[in-house]
Amino acid sequence: MSNALEINNLLFKWNNEDNFLLKINKLSIKNNNKVIMFGESGSGKSTLLNLISGILSPISGTIIIKNKKITQFTPNKKDAFRANNIGVIFQQFNILDYISPLQNILLPCFFTNFKKKNKKYFYDRAFELAHKLGLNKNILLQTNSNKLSVGQKQRVAILRSVINKPFLILADEPTSALDNKNKENFLDLLMTICETEKVTLLMVSHDTSLKKYFNSFINLEKISHSK
Amino acid sequence: MKILINLAYQSLLSRKITVFLTIISLTVSIVLFLSIDTLRLGAKKSFFGNVKSGDIILGSRSGEIQLLLYSLFQIGSPTNNISWESFQEISKKPEIDWIIPISLGDSHKQFRVMGTTKEYFDRFSYRKNQKLKYQEGTYFENTFDVVIGNDVAKMLNYKLEDSIIIAHGIASQSLHDEFPFKIKGILNKTGTSIDRLVLVSLEALEAIHKDWKTGSKIPTKINSKKNYTEQDLIPKEITAAIIKLKSPITIFKIQREINDYEFEPLQAIIPGIVLTKLWQVVSVTENIMLSISAMVIVSALIGLIAILYSTLNNRRKEMALLRIVGASPKTIFSLLLIEALIISFLSIIIAILFSQFLNLILFPILDQKFGIYLENKFLLLKDLYFFVIILFTSVFVSIFPALQAYKNSINDGI
Repeated sequence: MSNALEINNLLFKWNNEDNFLLKINKLSIKNNNKVIMFGESGSGKSTLLNLISGILSPISGTIIIKNKKITQFTPNKKDAFRANNIGVIFQQFNILDYISPLQNILLPCFFTNFKKKNKKYFYDRAFELAHKLGLNKNILLQTNSNKLSVGQKQRVAILRSVINKPFLILADEPTSALDNKNKENFLDLLMTICETEKVTLLMVSHDTSLKKYFNSFINLEKISHSK
Repeated sequence: MKILINLAYQSLLSRKITVFLTIISLTVSIVLFLSIDTLRLGAKKSFFGNVKSGDIILGSRSGEIQLLLYSLFQIGSPTNNISWESFQEISKKPEIDWIIPISLGDSHKQFRVMGTTKEYFDRFSYRKNQKLKYQEGTYFENTFDVVIGNDVAKMLNYKLEDSIIIAHGIASQSLHDEFPFKIKGILNKTGTSIDRLVLVSLEALEAIHKDWKTGSKIPTKINSKKNYTEQDLIPKEITAAIIKLKSPITIFKIQREINDYEFEPLQAIIPGIVLTKLWQVVSVTENIMLSISAMVIVSALIGLIAILYSTLNNRRKEMALLRIVGASPKTIFSLLLIEALIISFLSIIIAILFSQFLNLILFPILDQKFGIYLENKFLLLKDLYFFVIILFTSVFVSIFPALQAYKNSINDGI
């Protein structure tokens, strides 16, 4: 099995100053694996996710996703690659209140696939996946998203990360603000979706009790030399 | 692009109250600017519209602005009259196409009485060479007939054949009550000072002043108007005369000749030039008003940047999300500009509607109370330029918050 993600000799500093430093010699995640990464607050988890998604650029080293060295891409190409290949689930889900749940789910398509005019396919896909997760049309078509319950927000966030058929999903402590019941529901849904959609998952958390849901785990503090 | 406009629109919609207030402040400032501008141009037009008739105004020697004001606008009082003989003498000049005498001094209620000849009605033209027309009736047939301006008829509720009494002087208690006048004609609305005039013949003015000396009646003499012959009623003095030349080339020659007239101190002015001089004085106020309204627009635009700035921090997560789903920092930048554009565009649209509405209400009031007659024109070309400038400026000032958003979004992701 080949690697979905491969990091070699990565070095990152904030603004080129030495007060924060992230250094990873080697990290790889296999295709279709579900990996959880533990690390304390400030250990550089979010920074690493931003590096992988191409928002931030390292000082040196390479990040290879889907056999592409994204560290060599131009900023525009990075934006396009991320939009097409990486789905992201945010802490507290980051649902835009002022647009409908459906528009939230389809947001990644607006900047990518909709330009190719296969709109209907993605609308159908959104409805179909939403149905699988128990969100009916009425909920999706609400004029805005501020009335969604926590459970509904989780689903919308998962659907948004997966709508564009990404290769890799990055999740940034999505369960940190959830009670146990919601946490379990969320992880069940996420795992199911990753299975059916055959997506690689990298989730960061500081909650070691979540280990059982994943194929493997990484301890960021052990592989990195962050300051 | 479509998604950005949609996002910007929905995002603005979600911040209804602040956005609404910004739009209101921008709208009010635009309306203020438009109104002041319309008023300024309207006042100018309605002033300059009065001077279409003659090339030269002949009067007694005084200030040229004063002569202009009392002869054309019936504002202020003449210091001196000119003799009928001088008038006759000057009329003989071959360069003159026509010359119309006018005589001022009496009043009826709040309106001035002007004595003149029939020619005045034929020759008077205003704005785009429009001629006087009668709403009702016609020119005077008898000595004691009057023609009244439209405002006079409207405000005093006069009809044809009504009798009116003329008072001696302006705001005077002594009446020419032995000579009642009959209304023979009511003029159409012109938007010039004629609307507020009571017009009589020179002969009539002469007749009613026969028994007067230095502003009061001579009580012993009792005359009946029927006793006057035509010869009796030739005026001795007139206030001013409007002269039209055959060729405008001779304007300065005639002006010089009149100013050098040796038998009586006379003065000739070219109304267009004097009015321009006068307007230069007035335009100081104009410019102050315009710059105040421009400053109001500036402050409204600052308000616009302020709300864009103030929301930036709250919207960092939103921007980060857009970045993750594929928006580049440039896209974030344009998103903010589009928001500013939407705000200023909406403000302009509302301002246009609102100012049209205001015009409908205010124009008649301005006309009646201040004699400023404004034509209601929907959007002049210069207004469109103004709107384009507003749009550009609002986009330009929004570059600053947009740049901030751009900088934030470079490092903000997950």
